[in-house]
Amino acid sequence: MTAVAPVLLCEDLVVGHAGHPVMSGVNIRLSAGKILAIVGPSGCGKSTLMRVIGGLDEPMAGRSALLGTDLTTATALEREKVLRRSGFLFQGSALFSSLTLRENVELPMREFLPLPPHEVAQLAEYKLALVGLADAMDKLPSEISGGMAKRAGIARALALDPSVMFLDEPSAGLDPVTSGKLDELVLKIKESFGTTIILVSHEVPSILRIADFCVYLDSDTGTMGAYAPPKDFLSPTAYAKAHAFFTLARIS
Amino acid sequence: MSQNSARAPSARTEVLGDGSTLVVVAGDWTIHDSLPTIAFKGDKVKLRADDLGSFDSSLPAWIYVHFKNVRQCDLSALPPRLQALVEMAEKATLSAGPNAPTSVLENFGTWGIDSTHSWARAFDHIGQTAVGFARTCLGRARVNWSDFTLQLQTAGVDALPIVALLGFLTGLIMAYVGLIQLRQVGATVYVANLVSLAMTREMGALMTGVIACGRTSTSFASQLGSMNVSQETDALRSLGINPVEYLAVPRILAVTLMVPLLAIFATFVGIFGGMIVACAGDLSIEQYLTQAILAIKFKSFLVGFIKSIAFGFIAAWAGCYRGSVAQRSALGVGDAATSAAVLGITLIVIADALFAVIFNLYDF
Ligand SMILES: Nc1ncnc2c1ncn2[C@@H]1O[C@H](COP(=O)(O)OP(=O)(O)O)[C@@H](O)[C@H]1O
Ligand SMILES: [Mg+2]
Repeated sequence: MTAVAPVLLCEDLVVGHAGHPVMSGVNIRLSAGKILAIVGPSGCGKSTLMRVIGGLDEPMAGRSALLGTDLTTATALEREKVLRRSGFLFQGSALFSSLTLRENVELPMREFLPLPPHEVAQLAEYKLALVGLADAMDKLPSEISGGMAKRAGIARALALDPSVMFLDEPSAGLDPVTSGKLDELVLKIKESFGTTIILVSHEVPSILRIADFCVYLDSDTGTMGAYAPPKDFLSPTAYAKAHAFFTLARIS
Repeated sequence: MSQNSARAPSARTEVLGDGSTLVVVAGDWTIHDSLPTIAFKGDKVKLRADDLGSFDSSLPAWIYVHFKNVRQCDLSALPPRLQALVEMAEKATLSAGPNAPTSVLENFGTWGIDSTHSWARAFDHIGQTAVGFARTCLGRARVNWSDFTLQLQTAGVDALPIVALLGFLTGLIMAYVGLIQLRQVGATVYVANLVSLAMTREMGALMTGVIACGRTSTSFASQLGSMNVSQETDALRSLGINPVEYLAVPRILAVTLMVPLLAIFATFVGIFGGMIVACAGDLSIEQYLTQAILAIKFKSFLVGFIKSIAFGFIAAWAGCYRGSVAQRSALGVGDAATSAAVLGITLIVIADALFAVIFNLYDF
C-alpha cells in the first residue's frame, strides 16, 4: 500500500452483461487529480466498464475500488456515499425529461445540500454557465440539441463538486469549437478542484491534450490491451492495436 | 459482353477430385429476384463466377449466408469487387464473437431460470419498498414529495368521475339482479341489504382496486419504464439517490391513501345506484335507506376499508415494480404497462380471496 490510496483501483476486473463477459483483465491504478481516457472500438465495452468502476453495476469477477471503498464488498449505504462523491455523465445524457435544465442541476443540490432554494438556484446557474448553457436554463431536455444535453449532463454531474467524474463520450456529436471548449472545461475542473476525471473519448487530439493516462480496450481479445500515458501510444513500439487506433484517428 | 435482358440468377455445385465442392454462380443477381438454393457437403468450398452479369447486395449476401460456417472457403476466383464485399462482412462478424444456437432443452432451462429470476426480482423489489417505507418513517429516505402531491391529484381526485360511474352501475346491476330473485319470495325489501352489504364489504374496494390497476398501475409502469429507457433511473443512482425511495415510495404512498377514500365514495354511490332501481317500483326511498343502514355494520365497513388499503398498495406496487424491470425499448415500456395491469388485477383478486378466507375464519 502506498501512502495515498488511489482514487480508482481495478484488479483483474471482468465486466459484462447477463453472465456474458465483455471485457476482462482490467487492471488500473489511478491517483487523485489525474485524467484517464478510455478508448477502443465501439461496442468493446467502454460504457459497461465505466458503469462498473463508477459503482452502478456489479463486476462479474475481480475487484474494483473507488475513492478507497471496495465496491465489490460495499454495503448499499457505503455505495451510495461513494456515488454521492462522484459525478456521472451518461452516453445518452439521461437528463430528467420532466425537469428543466436548471431543475436537473438543482435536483442533487436540493437533496443533499442544506441550502435555501435561492442559493441552490445561484449554484445551479453558475454550473450551467460553466458549460455555456446560461441562456437555456429554463428549457426542457426535449427542447435542446444532443450537444447541449451532453453539456447539461456535465453540469448536473458537477452539481455536488464531485471528487471523481465519469464522462461517457462527452464530446461525441459536438462541433470542433464546442468540443475544444469542453476540453478546456475538463482541464479547468481538474486543475481548480483537483477532480479526478475518467472519460470515454474517440478524439485522439483531445486525448493527447488533456489525458494523463489512457486505457485501450481490445475488442478482438476482449481484454484490456494497454494502460499507459497517451503519448506512449504514438511510438511504433507501443501496443500495436492501440498505436494503430491512435495514428489512424489522428490522420482523419 | 453486353446484355440488355436480365437472366435469372443461378448456382450449381460440382464435387471436385480432392473432395471439395465447386460452386459456380451465374446470371444477374438482384434483391428483387428469388435466389437459387443449393445443397453441398464438406468443409472445403471453392467459388467461381461464370458468365456473371450484374449483381447488387443479393449475391454477396447469398455467398455470406451460405458459406460463413465453411472452414475453407476459396473466394479467389470471384471478381475482386464481389470478393471484397463478402470479406468485409466476414471480418466484421469475427470481432462480434460467435452466437451459439440454443437447443430446446436449453431454452426451457433458460425460461425456468428467467421465471425464478423474476420472482426473485419481485421479492427483491418488495423488500426494497419495505426498507424504503421504513426509512421514510425514520426520516432518512430521499423522497420526491412533489411526486406525492401530484399523484394524490392524478391517481386520486382525477379518478373520481370513473369511480363514480362504475360504482353507480355496479350498485344498479346488483339491485336489478337481486330484485328478480327477491320478488319470487316476496322479500324485495332485502334488496337494500344485498346492495349495501355487497358494496361495503366487497364491490366498493374491488371495483376501485381494478380501476386503480387500469389507470394508475399502467401509468406508473410506463413512467418508470421510460425513465429506465432514458437511463434517468441510473442518473438518480449515480447521484446517490435510491430510485425506489425517490420514485416508488411517494407513488405507492399516495395511491394507498387515495384508493380507500375512493372506495368509500364508490360504496356510497353504489348504494345510491341500487336505490334508483329499487325505488323505481318495489320500495320507497325511506324503506330502502332504513334497511340499508340496518344492514351496514361497522364491521363490514372496516372489512371494505382494510381491503381497499391493500388493493391500493398492490395496484401502485405492481406498476412501480413492472416499470422498474422494464426492458430498455419502446416495446419494453408497453409490455411493462400491460403486465402491470395484469399483475395488479391478479394479485388483487388473489388477495380478495385470501381476505375472504381470513375474515370468515375470524367470523368478521
Ligand atoms: N444492457 C445490455 N444488455 C446486454 N448486453 C449489452 C447491454 N449493453 C451493452 N451490451 C453489450 O455489451 C457490449 C459492450 O457495450 P458497451 O459497453 O455499450 O460498448 P461501448 O461503450 O464500448 O461502445 C456490446 O457488445 C453490447 O452489445
Ligand atoms: Mg458506449
